[in-house]
Amino acid sequence: MKVYFFATCLGGAVFSQTALNCIKLLQREGVEVVFKKDQTCCGQPSYNSGYYDQTRQIVLHNVRLFKEDYPVIVPSGSCVGMMAHDYLELFEGHKEYDEVKNFSLRVYELAEFLDKKLEVHYTDLGAPIKVTWHSNCHALRVSKVIESAKKIISQLSNVELVPLQREEECCGFGGTFAVKEPEISNAMVQEKIHDIESRQVEYILSADAGCLLNISGAMAKMRSKTKSMHFYDFLAQRVGLGA
Amino acid sequence: MTHTHTDHDYEQVIGEKLNDAQLRTNLRSAMDTLIHKRKDLLKERYPEWEQLRTMGQNAKLKVLSKLDSFVQQFEENATKNGFVVHYASTARDANEIIYNLAKERGVERILKGKSMASEEIGLNQYMKEKGIVAKETDLGELIIQLIDEHPVHIVVPAIHKNRHQVGKIFQEKLGAPLESEPEKLNGIARKHMRGEFEGFKMGISGVNFAIANEGAIWLVENEGNGRMTTTACDIHVAICGIEKMVESFEDASILNNLLCPSAVGVQITCYQNIITGPRQEGELDGPKEAHIILLDHNRSNILADEKYYRALSCIRCGTCLNHCPVYDKIGGHAYLATYPGPIGVVITPQLFGLDNYAHIANLCSLCGRCGEVCPVKIPLPELIRDLRAEKTHEGRGVVRGYKDTKHSKLEELGMKAFAKIASNGTLWRAVMALSGTFAPLGKLFGHYTPVLQKWLRYREMPKVQGNLHAKIKNLPGVIYE
Ligand code: SF4
Repeated sequence: MKVYFFATCLGGAVFSQTALNCIKLLQREGVEVVFKKDQTCCGQPSYNSGYYDQTRQIVLHNVRLFKEDYPVIVPSGSCVGMMAHDYLELFEGHKEYDEVKNFSLRVYELAEFLDKKLEVHYTDLGAPIKVTWHSNCHALRVSKVIESAKKIISQLSNVELVPLQREEECCGFGGTFAVKEPEISNAMVQEKIHDIESRQVEYILSADAGCLLNISGAMAKMRSKTKSMHFYDFLAQRVGLGA
Repeated sequence: MTHTHTDHDYEQVIGEKLNDAQLRTNLRSAMDTLIHKRKDLLKERYPEWEQLRTMGQNAKLKVLSKLDSFVQQFEENATKNGFVVHYASTARDANEIIYNLAKERGVERILKGKSMASEEIGLNQYMKEKGIVAKETDLGELIIQLIDEHPVHIVVPAIHKNRHQVGKIFQEKLGAPLESEPEKLNGIARKHMRGEFEGFKMGISGVNFAIANEGAIWLVENEGNGRMTTTACDIHVAICGIEKMVESFEDASILNNLLCPSAVGVQITCYQNIITGPRQEGELDGPKEAHIILLDHNRSNILADEKYYRALSCIRCGTCLNHCPVYDKIGGHAYLATYPGPIGVVITPQLFGLDNYAHIANLCSLCGRCGEVCPVKIPLPELIRDLRAEKTHEGRGVVRGYKDTKHSKLEELGMKAFAKIASNGTLWRAVMALSGTFAPLGKLFGHYTPVLQKWLRYREMPKVQGNLHAKIKNLPGVIYE
C-alpha cells in the first residue's frame, strides 16, 4: 500500500525528527511512504484568523499536490480536523467542492490510520514508565481521533497512563490565539501545567506539535521537572525504532 | 447606548481580571461545580441526551425557518388570552413602551425578575434616568445591583462573588449582621425582598419559551421571585426576544429538559411558571394586566444570514460559558458586553455592531468545547471564526458594522504573505531553510520581533530540529518526489 505523508508545518519547521519517526512507524507495517517535496501547511493560521480567501489558495495547493488516490497520513489531529472537515466548509458552494471532497475523504491522522486501517498490535520494548496525556482540542472534537491514540498506548504494557484532571481543556495554544491573547493563553497553559505536575509522571505526551510547543515552552520557562515528548517519538522508542 | 470598545479597553480589563486572585478562585470553583453537576446528572439520568439534543435543535430550527408566522400565531393566541402584545424593534422602543406603561399608571417602582433581555436594552439605567426605580428580585441580581455591577454570567449573575463577599455586601448595603452561611444569607435576602414586594404594582420578567399555538409564556426559575413578580402585581410585563418562540408545549418541554440540566445540573428547577394571561373574571389572583414585549433589536438581521441564524436557537442555558477556557479565566465582565462567553462572542457584535466589538472575536481559542456541550447544537466555534472573517472582509459581509470595523493591516499583509508562501513548495522550502539556519539567531533576537516577543513572554524558544527534507531524502524506502 502507498500512502502520502504530510509532515505539517510544525513537523517541517520544528519537529523533523518526529516526522521521521512517523514515517518509520508506517514503514514498519509494510506501507510505502510517498513524501511530496512541495508540501507546506494545512492553512489553519490564516483560516482561524478569518482569512478565508487566502486559505482557499492553500487548500487548492494541497488538494492538487496530493492528487493520487492514496491515503494522506498526518501526524496531527488538529491538521486533520482542518483538512478532513474544515476544507469542506470552506468550499461549500464553490465549484471545486468535489475535488476538495475527494481529497478530504482520504485524510487520516496517523494514530487513527495505525489503529483503524492497519490494526496494529505493538509489543512494548521499553522499561516501566509513568506518563500523562494531553488531548489536542481538534483531535478530540473535530477529527475525533484521540480514542485511537489511547488504544495504542494501552497496548504498551510497561506504560502507565495517569490521566490529567483537566485533560479535555484547551492548553491555550489555539494557533494565533497564543500571540493575540498572550495573557489569557498563559493563564490557560499555567492551569494545564499545574495539572500535569500534580500527576507526578515522567513525561507529558501529546500527539500535536502545537500544543507541545506551547506546553513544553511554558514548562521550560518555569523550570518544570516533567519532560514533554511527542507521542510518535515516544511510540517509536517503545517499539524499538530508535531515536 | 453602545460605544466602541478598543483593543486597549480589552487589554486593560483582561489584565485586571487575570490578576484578581479572588475572582480567579471563585470562578474556577464555581465553573468546576457546574460542570461536574451537569456531567454527573447526564451520566446518571440522561442516557438519551444526544437524541434529546437533536430533538431540541429541531424544535428550534423549525420555528426559526418560519419565525414571522410563528410570531404572528403567538400574537393572535396571546391576544385571545388577554395579553397585550407590543412589538419593539429597538432597545429604545422596548424601554419606551415599559416607561409609558408605568407612567400612565402612576408607577414609580418596578420589581424585576431575572431577564437578560432587560440587561440587553439597558432597562434599569433608562428607568433611572426617567426617575423610576427598577429593583432586582433574583438573589444574584440583587447582590450585583447592590454593588452597581452587571451580571457576570447569564444564568448565575453573581457567581464571581463567594459567600463571604456576599455577606459583606449585605452587611454594608442592607445593614444586616455579618453572615456567611448560605441559609442565613438567603434569610437576609428574603426578609429584604418581602419588604420590597409589599404593595408593589408592576412586575417585569423575562421569558424562557413563548408558546405560539397557545399564546402562553413559560418562565423557569429557582427562587419564587419570578412567580411573585408575575402574579402578585397589578401589571405584569414580560420582555421576550422574538427567538424565544416555540411551536407547542411539547417542544417547550423538550427544551426545558435540555435547559435545566445544562444550566445548573438539575432535572428541573424549583419553579416553572406557565402563564396564560392576566386574571380572568371570577379569579382571585394574578395581575390585572399582562403585557408581552416582543423584542427584535437586530435579531431579524441575524435570522437573515444562512449561518448566524442558528445562534437564535440559544436557550440561554449558560453551559457554553461554564465550559469555556477563556470565560473561566477572565469572567464575564471582561467581555465588556451584556452577553459574555461563547454565545456572547457570537451575538454581541450582531446586536451591537461589529465595529463596536471587534476585539471580542479574539476571546476564543477555538477549542470547540462550547459547541460540544451546547444543548441545541449551535456550531459556536464556526460562528466565531466566521466573525473573524467578517473583520477581514473575507466572510459573507452580513454582520452589522463590519465595514467600519478596525482591523490590523499588518496582520493582513502577514497572512497574505503566508498564504502565498504556503501555496508554493519552492518558496516554502526556501523560507523553512532560512528559519532552520537562523534558529539560534531567532533565540537571540526573538525578544525584539512583536509576535515572537508575545510568545516568549511566557515560554522558551523551541529547540528546532530542522533539515526535514535532507533527512527524509536519506531515509531508505521513502519516495521523495
Ligand atoms: S449557545 Fe448553547 S450552550 Fe450557550 S447559552 Fe445558548 S444554548 Fe446554552
